Amino acid sequence: MKNTLRKIVLPTILLVLAYGFWISSDFKEIAAGVAIFLFGMLALEEGFKAFTGGILEKILKRTTNKLWKSVSFGILSTTIMQSSSLVSVITISFLGAGLIGLAQGVGIIFGANIGTTTGAWLVAGFGLKVKISAYAMPMLVFGVIMIFQKSRHIKGIGYILTGLGFLFLGIHHMKEGFETFKSAIDLAEYAVAGYPGLFLFTLIGIFATVVMQSSHATLVLIITALAAQQISYENALALAIGANVGTTITAILGALSSNELGKRLAGAHLIFNVTTGLIAIVFIHQLLVAVDLISAYVGIGETDYTLKLAVFHTLFNLIGVIVMIPFTNHLVRFLERVIKSEPDRYAHPKYLNEGSLEFGDTALEALRMETARVYAKATDVIAKGLSLDKEKILSDAKLKHVIREHHKAVEYDIDDVYEHEIKALCSAILDYTNQLSSSEPGIARKVSRIRLANQSILIALKDVKHLQKNMLNYIDSENADISYEYNRLRQRIAKVMRRLERIRLKDEGSTSILSLDALKLTLEKNMDLLHERMNELIRDGKVSAEMAISLMNDSNYTYSIIHNLIQINHNYLKSEEGSETEAEHMIALNREEIGTVLADDRVIAEKR
Amino acid sequence: MKFDNALKKKLLKKLKSYMNAEAEQLQQEDDGLSKVLKKLKKKEKHLKALIAAERDKDEREMLEQELNVVHSQRKKGITLLSSLRKKGDK
Repeated sequence: MKNTLRKIVLPTILLVLAYGFWISSDFKEIAAGVAIFLFGMLALEEGFKAFTGGILEKILKRTTNKLWKSVSFGILSTTIMQSSSLVSVITISFLGAGLIGLAQGVGIIFGANIGTTTGAWLVAGFGLKVKISAYAMPMLVFGVIMIFQKSRHIKGIGYILTGLGFLFLGIHHMKEGFETFKSAIDLAEYAVAGYPGLFLFTLIGIFATVVMQSSHATLVLIITALAAQQISYENALALAIGANVGTTITAILGALSSNELGKRLAGAHLIFNVTTGLIAIVFIHQLLVAVDLISAYVGIGETDYTLKLAVFHTLFNLIGVIVMIPFTNHLVRFLERVIKSEPDRYAHPKYLNEGSLEFGDTALEALRMETARVYAKATDVIAKGLSLDKEKILSDAKLKHVIREHHKAVEYDIDDVYEHEIKALCSAILDYTNQLSSSEPGIARKVSRIRLANQSILIALKDVKHLQKNMLNYIDSENADISYEYNRLRQRIAKVMRRLERIRLKDEGSTSILSLDALKLTLEKNMDLLHERMNELIRDGKVSAEMAISLMNDSNYTYSIIHNLIQINHNYLKSEEGSETEAEHMIALNREEIGTVLADDRVIAEKR
Repeated sequence: MKFDNALKKKLLKKLKSYMNAEAEQLQQEDDGLSKVLKKLKKKEKHLKALIAAERDKDEREMLEQELNVVHSQRKKGITLLSSLRKKGDK
């Protein structure tokens, strides 16, 4: 059901977007802006990751280890960058990369809210505005050049610059797209007095900032409107409150591509700004008195409303921070409760735990169970990689029929499953075997067998990945001979998987390790037969030279897959307890002895 | 220095088990091999019965192959067991 929904939702979104692009060029520009912005976020995170485990962590740790420090960091960085949205977005990427914790992130956001008020001072006092989009192009050029360098740190800086460049460019395109909306907003039309006016203008402030993606732009609008006396001083204050709330949209947008930590920070940003806004609305009269007093104290003229607006902006943000600081930990806990971690796409070990490391036998059993789990996942991947169904392979159905039923090639991303399902588990197993330093030679030997079994799993998967490339082309090929050969390869692997499963499922009274010898013999025999048949196919011109080369390579991959599947089970079974297992190990045939049986087999066949 | 009887007995027991450690291990290996050989003999019989009943040529060939392997394993096991017993007799 979930998968069907997913299949429907994505094409629907794409269609709606395509229709939107067709009917409105503004919409196209805005959407492109959002896309560029999100891409910038990804690049930024990539860049910060290059510095993890080194200097950046040290700097961040030192500058954010106490709440006052992270608040100061927020103030300083926002004053320099002149964009609280950008600082919050960067903080989200810090969190995403695991460089800082949520409490520190919240501190930076608090600081950014104070830092952003310096913009109002600049605009009101000097009519200045740092236009960040002008930096986008050089940043992209320098950034991309740096990305192509070999040094990890230069590459990291390159990604950061490119990320910032794309962020600026994205915001620029969003603003451009909204130009039409901006001209449509005529503030003088909505002048309303009293509390209704306050709420209305706060909402307009939120809307304008969401639309323009910048509280700075809204502030410029407010200050110019105020200077032209288009709006009243009270309404301008309400707009500033709204702009402060609306600016959180950038962080929310940035958190879309981040993990749950980023989302929690965006949540903190929203809660903080909404609370601050509410405080400002409720205590607006008291704030106005305070603004008048402060303005008179610092020498701002009574009618200089633009600078008074800057005082107000700073004051209410400062009050917000002072009110919220004691609740920082509560806020963090609340967000952790509300925004839960998404289910991890990476598989986690089920049986390995630190506690059992001290007990050799228990640890060994945990390792065996975890390896069995990885093997089950790996055989599923192998089956899907061969465009087959594991359940059907392991059923009692005739394998020829199973292969015939699945004659169509099905694309399957082995790399993705390997990355998320297998790699993490295999590394956890290897880590665990490294930690398990048993002095008992018996256990150490078994642990080393488990390690070998896991190595074989990885090799088998790598081989299936290689085999898959040509197999997808040839199993349903018009050339019946090549199709037949590739289906034979699939059948052979499937047959071994089925026999191995039966050997594994046999009760304790069986001789499991010894049963593998027959499989080894079949493997060698089939390889010889395949070589003979391949020569025949080439000689008779039934397959092209290209096909013959593919078949030759892929038969080697098939050999390796089967060999490793047997080895996995061999080492896994050998890691079992019991004196009989040792006896089986002694009786098991080595390669030479299998060769002798094979030679005898051939002599008997020739006599017939 | 005087040893009491209980301590003497304990020390003698330890000494005895130390002297017999190798013999005990040989016995364990002997037991393990014998058990596995019995199982292989049973498996051989079972395979022969399966071959006699199998009509599919490919399947029969595969079973015959497995029978050859089991036969070779038994031969190897018997050789190992006899050398183990000779070692024990010495």
